Amino acid sequence: MLAAVALLTSARTYAQLPGEPIVFGDGRVTLGGGVSATYGCAHGPGVDGCGEDLGFFNYTSYEDSLIRNFRIDLSASVKAGEHISFLTEIRTNNLETPQPYALYARIRPWRDRRFDIQIGRIPPSFGAFSRRPYPADNILIGYPLAYQYLTSLRPDALPANSDELLRMRGRGWLSSFSVGDPTPRSGLPLVNGLSWDTGVQVHAATDLVDAAVSVTTGTLTKPLVRDNNGGKQVSGRVALQPVQGLILGTSLARGPFAARDVALTAGLGTDDRSITQSAWGADVEYSRGHYLVRAETVLSAWRVPLVRQPVIDLPLRALATSIEGRYRVLPGLYGAARWDHLGFSEIQGSTVRREWEAPVTRIEAGIGYSLQHNLLLKVAYQHNDRDGGRVPTLGITAAQLVYWF
Amino acid sequence: MPRALLFFVLVTIAAVLGEGAVPTELHAGGMANGIIRGRVDVRRTTTNSDRRPTVASLGAPPERERTIPTQSVVYLQSAPRGAFEQTEPGRAIMDQRNETFVPHVLAITTGTIVDFPNSDRIYHNVFSLSKPAKFDLGRYPVGRSRAIRFDRPGIVRVFCDIHSHMNAFILVFSHPYFALTDADGHYRINNVPPGTYQVVAWNEGVTSDPKPAVVPDGNATELDFLLR
Repeated sequence: MLAAVALLTSARTYAQLPGEPIVFGDGRVTLGGGVSATYGCAHGPGVDGCGEDLGFFNYTSYEDSLIRNFRIDLSASVKAGEHISFLTEIRTNNLETPQPYALYARIRPWRDRRFDIQIGRIPPSFGAFSRRPYPADNILIGYPLAYQYLTSLRPDALPANSDELLRMRGRGWLSSFSVGDPTPRSGLPLVNGLSWDTGVQVHAATDLVDAAVSVTTGTLTKPLVRDNNGGKQVSGRVALQPVQGLILGTSLARGPFAARDVALTAGLGTDDRSITQSAWGADVEYSRGHYLVRAETVLSAWRVPLVRQPVIDLPLRALATSIEGRYRVLPGLYGAARWDHLGFSEIQGSTVRREWEAPVTRIEAGIGYSLQHNLLLKVAYQHNDRDGGRVPTLGITAAQLVYWF
Repeated sequence: MPRALLFFVLVTIAAVLGEGAVPTELHAGGMANGIIRGRVDVRRTTTNSDRRPTVASLGAPPERERTIPTQSVVYLQSAPRGAFEQTEPGRAIMDQRNETFVPHVLAITTGTIVDFPNSDRIYHNVFSLSKPAKFDLGRYPVGRSRAIRFDRPGIVRVFCDIHSHMNAFILVFSHPYFALTDADGHYRINNVPPGTYQVVAWNEGVTSDPKPAVVPDGNATELDFLLR
């Protein structure tokens, strides 16, 4: 990773890299891309030197952390005609096998109307951050908790009762339950900011309103390419722009999040549609001059089968709220900060009543410095507090270099 | 050395050195000024940058015309004596329309104030990280304008922080002997004192080798360029 950073920052290499999207095929094909290298060191009780994120605060799976990541994105747009384009994005993390993050057809039936139909592996309708997860668009290094933090819930294994669920508090990076697959695996975030769902999306916009509705195979928490249960997710978002610079948005989503196998194991037969995730989101953004302020909240409610006593109080709710701001201090230099909290509803166990997952609060602050117009260096400090888990408190200092064309 | 810095050094040094090359009869003899004119033939396949693939968008972005930026700037690398005193700073406009800076290339003298009005119904955020003029005008809505005074000669690359496909060039000269080409590539530098000069053509960051031009008393001299 350090070699990659050195390579990217050397003047000769940078001069040879494209500064703008590559267009060919008589303007029909456009290629863009981005490279980001992130390295972070954790500090806290029991952590020596440049430690790892032992609290798994920034992990997106058991193996992958956002603060130690080398990512390459390559996106392409191919105009196949006046009304249809094909878009794709191929991504690799830490030089692993590239994956198609997005692959869909965009149809615009009327050229002069802002009405689009998108089919395939499509961008999420839900939420605001979900469409700007790129390092170049993220004002800090970490993601908002709603889009990344792993809860203990899993799509392929479910807790039989509330005691099982409470035992997994703060262990979303590797949780295990007795119903379904017993193998310990990482849990689910409220909204998966690193994977897109597959389905159909209809979008319409005017100068005042922007609206989209999607029907997809997976859910916010577990996007899928192939359906693994009997239901589809319906999600939608409406955003208003009453004045320039102000965006008010609200989103809804509902769909079954667990695999059919786990429903069978739980005794639900093929009625896997009762294991659902419902979510509501609200977001606001205001920018003017040199500052930008955003706030977003996501309320997610999961329903799981009641298998044994003590039964789980349903629905299992989680509420994530983040507020972030950026101020441009000088040309090419900005300061940014984000406050983030993820809270959970309480359930009754055999001996105790408490939140079903450990609440997390995160504060992240940092600076961004543009070395060139498309080469950005970010440095940030992140402090995490969690009411549970093996590592309840952890500070992380991270740097990220981002290049795009 | 970055192109902008090289440009600044060449123009400044050459202008200073050029003072000695100008005939002394210029002022004492009352010789009439002449013209350098010609054509710049751009055979590069550069196009105005397109937007990045809008993979994360819920729909297609507005159509944006992709133009071939053939407009070039021709300037004297060695300016006549007193050239620095002849600059008349004025006011220029670089508009933001249809997610495009208009004009794409602006050539001005030092001290000129450039207005950046926003004529779109969306925010723009004009900025530059070029050494001759680092600035960030922030976000402002339709109907508003902000201005910057350019006091140092050089090439200033202008971008929009919100729309990465928006970019433009501002060439800032410390003397008035430059001209923009028209749609056919023709240019005309007027009012050049008689003498021998080095003339350079520029297009989208590519600079020609300097060409000598002898400006006779009160007449025009022809000088064509080819940029590949």
